Amino acid sequence: MIRLIRSNLLDITGFAVILAFLMLLSLGMGFKSNLEIPSSILNLNTIFLSILIEAFPFVLIGVLIAGMIQIFVTEEHISRWIPKNKYMAIFMSCSVGALFPACECGIVPIIRRLVGKGVPIAAAIGFMLTGPLINPIVIASTYMAFGNDAKIAALRMGLGFGIAIIVALLVGMFFKGTQFKSSVSFVSHSHSKKQSFLEKFWAMLQHSIDEFFDMAKYLIIGAFLAALVQTYMPAKTLLEIGSGAASSLAVMMGLAYFLSLCSEADAFIGASFSSIFPSTSILGFLIFGPMIDLKNTLMMMSVFRFKFVMTVLVLVAGTVFTILMLFSSML
Amino acid sequence: MQFHAQQAARSLILLGFSVLIYMLHFTGKIYLFINPKYLLLSQAAAFLFLLLFFIQITRVWTIKGAHDHDSCSHEGECCSHDDHHEHFHDHGTTPFSVKKLVSYSIIVLPLLTGFMLPAKVLDSSIADKKGAMLSIAGSSKSGQSSQATSETKEGAESQGTGDASQPPEENDYQAGQGTDITEGTETATGYENQMTDEEYNKKMKGLETGSTIIFNDSIYSSYYESISSNIDKFQGRKVSLYGFVYKEEGFAEDQLVVSRFLVTHCVADASIIGFLSEFPDAAAIDKDTWIKIEGVIETGSYMDTPIPLVKVSKWEITEEPEVPYLYPVTIKRE
Repeated sequence: MIRLIRSNLLDITGFAVILAFLMLLSLGMGFKSNLEIPSSILNLNTIFLSILIEAFPFVLIGVLIAGMIQIFVTEEHISRWIPKNKYMAIFMSCSVGALFPACECGIVPIIRRLVGKGVPIAAAIGFMLTGPLINPIVIASTYMAFGNDAKIAALRMGLGFGIAIIVALLVGMFFKGTQFKSSVSFVSHSHSKKQSFLEKFWAMLQHSIDEFFDMAKYLIIGAFLAALVQTYMPAKTLLEIGSGAASSLAVMMGLAYFLSLCSEADAFIGASFSSIFPSTSILGFLIFGPMIDLKNTLMMMSVFRFKFVMTVLVLVAGTVFTILMLFSSML
Repeated sequence: MQFHAQQAARSLILLGFSVLIYMLHFTGKIYLFINPKYLLLSQAAAFLFLLLFFIQITRVWTIKGAHDHDSCSHEGECCSHDDHHEHFHDHGTTPFSVKKLVSYSIIVLPLLTGFMLPAKVLDSSIADKKGAMLSIAGSSKSGQSSQATSETKEGAESQGTGDASQPPEENDYQAGQGTDITEGTETATGYENQMTDEEYNKKMKGLETGSTIIFNDSIYSSYYESISSNIDKFQGRKVSLYGFVYKEEGFAEDQLVVSRFLVTHCVADASIIGFLSEFPDAAAIDKDTWIKIEGVIETGSYMDTPIPLVKVSKWEITEEPEVPYLYPVTIKRE
């Protein structure tokens, strides 16, 4: 009996939601015509939405993968797969990240789950750093963007991998435990074995919804700030600041951070700066951006402690900067 | 039975994102946001949102009494963390607070602007912020050694068709200001810039053999790259191209850039490609006007980097194409 009412109520609710939505929609449509909006706001809005539209598929895939990890991977699996040796664990996670074609938009929910399931924090960070940076699509687009020259693509991957390992080792030295925010006490438990596959699957989808709502606000803020930078900050002022080797590297890394571009597309932007900046700075742009950017930092803050996120940010920035400066003087 | 307003709000938001993306697809506005190559991916996102909406709907009503674990336990699923009260994440069941209001407002923001504000084609003010001339000079330098690998190996085979490839392109160009809709018809979306190796080589042949180099949208960026990276080789060749007018401080009176945006993923990563052009009327043309020019390639310079310069012999105002952006060529392998 209750089930019957329940199923009917579902339909009713569905209708009500759709109706409410259509009303809002028509309200919005009518509103549009009698408003004069400055074109820079429209530019801003277009860039803002385009970042979101481009990121959504990856975020949704990310939360679904995270959901699958939550439901189907147990702590026992993790402890069996991850090497006991700390250094081996880091090396392994960086390599898995390099093989895993992730995007920085979708990777935070995944590492959150992995850490929750008992993956050491250092190894998870290693995975986060190499995942978006090293994968076939990124290699191909970098190769193409730099006039079919393999040198930049090879350096990007090689140095990037090295930097990821160094950062992961440093994180391992400084941090233990999950580093989750105190409000976020991760409930790790194995699911009761009696659940059927379908029930598990259903639970996974519901988890994904909650995960999406956790991440979405940070993604949206990040996309908005990135769009703001693109619409209002002239690239030229950056160039005026970045004249020396060190300052130009810093400027390009800053640019990569604030633009929050997808790692598969940033090579083309990076290449367009190659006339004015030395290739070390371009590499800084190409390596730092996919590892950590504004959008990503905000998403990490939804999960990890503020102090931890900031330390990781500083470690990544510092390591990329130092390695590239050393590297450029060796050339 | 109990109604959960927050769960309802969440389902509304999920539905909203789904409808927004579908709407952009159906109205064709999606081309103003992303490269058509990723259309399928974004449709998948819209579908996933819809799917999640239907799942979310089931959480809006729950049986009274099961209050705390409502969204979970009675479905026979859930996290079995009934005993740990602090969830890892918010299931939308905790009381409503200001903090939540803020986060919901943030999530609703793109929905509001997406439905209420019109999508805009990026204009020269964005080109300026992105450092248009710097990118133009950049591509002249970065592609130094690139030159297309394909012409040489295909050279012998397509010799005979070299001339034959010219007329259809000419027609194309006259027909629709090069908007290229005709070219993409065989692909799934109609605008996707995909071609086979053979088609690509045939088009690149036009760059070598035609009396005038005609820029079509599908091959624009490849031609541009070839010319920028090897200006000397193309010096004195006639070109015909179109784009929007971009001007920058420090330009001479008779100079402007006929430019286009090249979109790799989404318009956030749009980069500028364009030809510095010189002709007396240039001063009178407003920026963002779409013009079509014909002229001869010479070598100009920007900040000591040689860049191609078009000495314009003929120009006219044209309409903004339906799809204003360029997309990099994807070579389809069979």
